[in-house]
Amino acid sequence: MIELRSLTRRYAERVAVDDLSLSIESGELLVLVGGSGSGKTTTLRLVNRLIEPTSGSVWIDGADTRAEAAPLLRRRIGYCFQQVGLFPHMTVGENVAITPTLLGWSAAQITARVDELLGLVALDPSAYRDRRPSALSGGEAQRVGLARALAARPLLMLLDEPFGALDPLTRENLQQEFASIRRELGLTAIFVTHDMAEALLLGDRIAVLHTGRLVQVGTPAELLRAPADERVAQLLRTPRRQAEALDALLGRRSDS
Amino acid sequence: MSEQLRLLPGYLSAHLALSLAALFVAALIAIPLGIAVHRRRALEPPLLGAASAIQTIPGLALLAVMVPLFAAIGARGIGAWPALVALTLYGLLPILRNTVTGLAGIDPALREAARGVGMTPREELWRVELPLALPVIVGGVRTSAVWVVGTATLATPIGATSLGNYIFSGLATRNNAAVLVGCVAAATLALGLDQLIRLLEAGIRARRRSWWITAVALLGALALYAAASAGLRASGPARAIAIGAKPFTEQYVLAEVLAQQIAARTGAATHSLPSLGSTVAFDALAAGDLDVYVDYSGTIWATIMHRDTASVQRDQLLAEVEKYLVEQRGITVAGALGFENSYALAMRADRARELGVSRIGELARRAPELEIGGDYEFFARAEWRALVAAYGLAFRAQRAMDPSLMYGALRERQVDVISAYSTDGRIAADALVVLDDDRRVIPPYDAIVLASARLARERPEALAALRELAGTIDAAAMRRMNAAVDAEGRSPSDVAREFLARPASAARSPRS
Repeated sequence: MIELRSLTRRYAERVAVDDLSLSIESGELLVLVGGSGSGKTTTLRLVNRLIEPTSGSVWIDGADTRAEAAPLLRRRIGYCFQQVGLFPHMTVGENVAITPTLLGWSAAQITARVDELLGLVALDPSAYRDRRPSALSGGEAQRVGLARALAARPLLMLLDEPFGALDPLTRENLQQEFASIRRELGLTAIFVTHDMAEALLLGDRIAVLHTGRLVQVGTPAELLRAPADERVAQLLRTPRRQAEALDALLGRRSDS
Repeated sequence: MSEQLRLLPGYLSAHLALSLAALFVAALIAIPLGIAVHRRRALEPPLLGAASAIQTIPGLALLAVMVPLFAAIGARGIGAWPALVALTLYGLLPILRNTVTGLAGIDPALREAARGVGMTPREELWRVELPLALPVIVGGVRTSAVWVVGTATLATPIGATSLGNYIFSGLATRNNAAVLVGCVAAATLALGLDQLIRLLEAGIRARRRSWWITAVALLGALALYAAASAGLRASGPARAIAIGAKPFTEQYVLAEVLAQQIAARTGAATHSLPSLGSTVAFDALAAGDLDVYVDYSGTIWATIMHRDTASVQRDQLLAEVEKYLVEQRGITVAGALGFENSYALAMRADRARELGVSRIGELARRAPELEIGGDYEFFARAEWRALVAAYGLAFRAQRAMDPSLMYGALRERQVDVISAYSTDGRIAADALVVLDDDRRVIPPYDAIVLASARLARERPEALAALRELAGTIDAAAMRRMNAAVDAEGRSPSDVAREFLARPASAARSPRS
């Protein structure tokens, strides 16, 4: 279980995250949604201590994350972000192997793990292992990024709009594959997105943030049934509104 | 040409050892400094500013300034060490700047990823930042290598052997073959080193083990070769006697005369430090880094003793200089060679006739329409100030230039008057007239053999051999020897050998 206890991050001019408390059950995927400046990315980066909180703390399975050095903590937490950040001077295999390498796994363990993970993200190990990241498409790169984040069997996955920069078809594909991988591995994850459709599709629960504060958290059904305020209601209506608009558009076309 | 090539292994290995050592130390300092600057941006303005400031100092000046600095801390002021320090300083900037640029140019997403996968700052540096910045850093090392190899040729005037020995002595004695060999060798060395480092970097980047192992092996072999030959020189005959020469023909010939005389009489090994800067030679002798060289009484009088040049008799001045050197500086005067090489104002004979000038007093009247050329030091020397004061000289323009180019400028009428040297073979060769110093402003310049206190103490037999040379060279003989080198293209060592082989060296007592 992951607990965020009164997390606050203040900058000189503004409060990015304001007294945020949340808990995520093991095996659960919590989606953070909200507009830009709502504090969702900052919250994610506070969890693996890429940013240190001004006050408050994060607890994983009953242990305070401040108890160990930040780099060691991060080796136990998978991290995936929109720009992927594959190391261009390493092969795909070496990128995937990086956290196990830092942890000092044996060469045999690492080789086996790399092949297993490439298979998991549907990339043929023999074809991709020795490629350079520059020879990958955007979708392939994000698959490798996902494999890299999963490599050391993390307790928790943090994903910051991982599919945000992909074309719609690739995005849909990857969303589905990610959902099935997650189920297969029973991952605990916090997933940041500004795409409500993605949030509803992937999330066990959704937390809505606004100006650094938690507005509401609950299952998609709970949120739909009883939105805390008009903003949440609006947010939840977006996918439906878009679908209806499309329907109308396509319907008119087929009628004519 | 073949005689020049015979010197190549010695000059090349010394040049290589100096350059490689300076480059290695510069990289060892600049890369960590660059990393520190990258981590703490506040360090950037002072550190890059300092490195840039060093870079703007002309190479020759930076090298020359090391001599008094080293002497001030009690270290050996001439030779490879001060040159190494100066070249290292000179090599810092490109490496430092490129290290900072290379690290700053890394995509922030990669830093985010490096931290995200759990790298410590150290792991991030070694596994991500340095490998990615490597091509840019190596680019800096290559730039630095070319600069350092080029600038190392300027180490010659401070007594460090380098390919500059070819260039300085070649320019001074109008030996174009020597200049050519020196330039080609230095350029080849610079390009070769540049390509080796490039190969090393390409090998690391492309992970071609064979490439970078080849490059490392070649660099290692070069370093080993240079170090071994430097070691051989160091472990040579127990402390060879060091003989210096300033960068002009007469000095090269006289240094050879001294060396051959010592070798013939005592069999002691000698080691020559050619093309030393004027005050570098004196300071080195006073500090005991140099054992013997020839200087001129008037030079010591004016530039070392800071005495004014008002009419002093030749013998009286010589006696006072000798007394000063022995008592104040512990330097022994092994004797006056028997000729004077004074500064003199010279003109083309036809131009002098045309203007009706034969004395400096007459020149003064025409000076405002004339241009004068002088060697680098002339216009800064006390003699020039005295000439100006005594005769009221005011030329339309005065140009400081390399002594070897000065005569050409006069020949081609680009200047009207030059500061010639009275024993210069080119005075006769170019049909120049020396203007009469009618008010006796320029002091006498007796050529005197100076010996260090150490030589006098430890090698009395060598000092005795040098004393035998007193009074053996008159102005005509010196002028002939200079002309043999400058006009006939013979080597200083040949000319010196011929002189010493003459029966009884036509011994003559100094004029009085």
